[in-house]
Amino acid sequence: MTTTTTPYRPGQHAGRDGFPQVLRAEWTKLRTVRGWVIAAFAAAAATALAPVALSATATNPAESCAGGRCQAEAHNIATGPGGAAVTDTFYFVHQALTGNGSITARVSGPRGLGAPAGQPATEPWAKAGLIVKASTTPGSAYAAIMNTGGHGVAMQYDYAHSTAGAGGAAARWLRLARSGDTVTGYYSADGRHWAKAGTATLAGLPATVQAGLFVASPDFEFDTQSFGGGDQGIDIGTRAAATFGGVSLRGGWAGHAWHGDRVGTGTGAPAPARCGQHGCVINPGQLEPPGSVRQAGGTFAVTGSGDIAPYVPVVDPVEAMFYGTLFGVIAVIALGAVFITAEYRRGLIRTTLAASPRRARVLAAKAIVIGLVTFAAGLAGAAVAFTVTQRRLSSLGWRPPVWHGWSLTSATGVQVVVGTAALLAVTALLALAAGTILRRSAGAVTAVMGVVIVPLILAVVLPTGPADLLMRLTPAAAFGLQQTTVRYPQVITGCTPYHGCYPLAPWPGFAVMCAWAVAALVTAAVLLRRRDA
Amino acid sequence: MSGAPAGRWAAVREPLHAEWTKLRTVASTGWLLLASVALIVGASAMAAAIVKCPGTCTADTTRLSLTGVLLGQATLATLAVLVMTGEYSTGMIRVTLAAMPRRPALLAAKAAVVTAVVLAAGTVAVLGSLLAGRLLLPGSGFSPAHGFSPLSLAHGPTLRAAAGSVLYLVLVALLSLGAASALRDSALAITVALGLLYIFPVLGNVILSGRWRHDLGQWAPANAGLDIQATRHLGALPIGPWAGLGVLAAWAGAALLAGGLLLRLRDA
Repeated sequence: MTTTTTPYRPGQHAGRDGFPQVLRAEWTKLRTVRGWVIAAFAAAAATALAPVALSATATNPAESCAGGRCQAEAHNIATGPGGAAVTDTFYFVHQALTGNGSITARVSGPRGLGAPAGQPATEPWAKAGLIVKASTTPGSAYAAIMNTGGHGVAMQYDYAHSTAGAGGAAARWLRLARSGDTVTGYYSADGRHWAKAGTATLAGLPATVQAGLFVASPDFEFDTQSFGGGDQGIDIGTRAAATFGGVSLRGGWAGHAWHGDRVGTGTGAPAPARCGQHGCVINPGQLEPPGSVRQAGGTFAVTGSGDIAPYVPVVDPVEAMFYGTLFGVIAVIALGAVFITAEYRRGLIRTTLAASPRRARVLAAKAIVIGLVTFAAGLAGAAVAFTVTQRRLSSLGWRPPVWHGWSLTSATGVQVVVGTAALLAVTALLALAAGTILRRSAGAVTAVMGVVIVPLILAVVLPTGPADLLMRLTPAAAFGLQQTTVRYPQVITGCTPYHGCYPLAPWPGFAVMCAWAVAALVTAAVLLRRRDA
Repeated sequence: MSGAPAGRWAAVREPLHAEWTKLRTVASTGWLLLASVALIVGASAMAAAIVKCPGTCTADTTRLSLTGVLLGQATLATLAVLVMTGEYSTGMIRVTLAAMPRRPALLAAKAAVVTAVVLAAGTVAVLGSLLAGRLLLPGSGFSPAHGFSPLSLAHGPTLRAAAGSVLYLVLVALLSLGAASALRDSALAITVALGLLYIFPVLGNVILSGRWRHDLGQWAPANAGLDIQATRHLGALPIGPWAGLGVLAAWAGAALLAGGLLLRLRDA
């Protein structure tokens, strides 16, 4: 009887050397090295616990402000229509008007008054124009059209909304027309040909509103970082003047007498206020005088100070806590680097490349595995950190209207938590690329820390200009993802890295880090292919 | 070393000689020292060139001219870590310990050669940085017209800042060597060392509580240690210059002690 010997065929299918297998091989390596698993868990734990530990040391806003702005300005923070904190103090020449109608005036100004040398003669966001306001209570709904010191004609309403128009600050005609809940702003060079500046819908605007002329001039704020991590800022109250001619009321609005008074209590003192790390110390007794109006026939000369704008706090407590995630960042830097350098050290790289000769694919598989693992670690850690620190901050008094109690699922919560996870993942990719290029863990870790973390220190140590550049060009720009303070173009704030303010918006900043990672990974792939292992 | 006279000095000289030979014959030593000097002088010169007065006339010009120390410490720490972990990654440590069974003496010899090279490179880098500052600062507006005299080592605080910066770099290297001796793995040791040096200065700026910010400035190694560079506004420092360097020295001593103990207690 003849027997046929069947040669040994391992029960494997074709396509065994496909990408899924390479991916699986890399995943197996990662999960079977105890030190690497510990590093991944350490990254998650550090991302969660370090912000929580920082929140345990946190103090209430008043103490943190160390007698600074958040405290000193508390007297003029109002709550706006949306529930957010606003600045609402200006000189208002007004009368109560009922129903629909419009107000028109030829506005000359604003011109800054008595600005000392080294300060703009007129603040760029000094405002002079026409306003329709639900009441004279600070924080009430409004719509306004105005000339500004440096941003042309602007239509603004309900604090957060601003559309800056074209044109200089020459004398021009402005008109504000109310029709139900809709207020429309127009401007004209000659009082005959009118262009629309914008429309505001103010839901629930009462039938009788306060309408009239206003002048405001925000504080001059100047921040410089000095060497050695100091922050020098000054805050000086400013005043502006404007002349309103040909003031007329049309439609259903019948003219009564005009009253001039200040809304709110003012923002700044005429004398420079000293500003520390968290803000400026302003003695409420030294605030700018309220402003004035002089009427001669149909012409009004008005002076005023203050601002009508969202209130932007100096301190971002969430961001301050989330700097603790740097401990997670260094853990993923180490993990990303050793994920490839350990192969060189042990000689495993030769086996890896013999099994999968298409080298770029090996690097891609490693990148996917390490990227996903560090993303998951970061997501878990950041979600815990965010939830716990929010609760703690809220209990300490970091509450609305100035600070928000963001939920995990709010846009800001997602930005901070997913952003932190993405930041960790891309940092790990950067470290993987550096490890592939340098083949040594020490060099790779040092290099990546040099570009990701060191700029955060240098940005504080260097003066404002170079610090700003550093935060735009280095991967550290991605830490802007952890910012929660909403900034507005119409509010000038001391945006220095010392205040945790990044020049780039969160996701564009993250794109800078991604660009670095892509460049490093491409370089790594090219070198991996060209060099002998 | 067959011709070396046996005697009480041999016990000191031979491990030193062995460590020195190892250090100078590894290619990375030269590159890391060169990179450190280049980083320190380059970054310091750049800082001196970009800071402008008027604008930042309150700047501490000495500290400004020594900014590069902040960067160069990373490469010197790497060098110090590799002196120890390089032996573990190649298995050389077993040969070394067979030849030199007195382990604390081995660590002491390594500390001595690291101190020597960092002292030399640090001195070159710090003098180079101050020279760059002396040449560049007047062009940035820090001139006698604004009340700034050229940087000079004859100025007591500047001399203290310069000498202190060199010592700072030495202590950072010793701290890293101690950490490496305790942790034995390059990636782990360098991560811990650089984490200590770089994370706390970032946190020192953002912590909300003034008390904790002050405490961190007093006890974190880089925060306290770099106060040695300050020559102005000394009253505003959380800790005095020499006391700050003392804090860093305590960290380095503790790391070396822990590293030495673990080296002695564990199998290689």
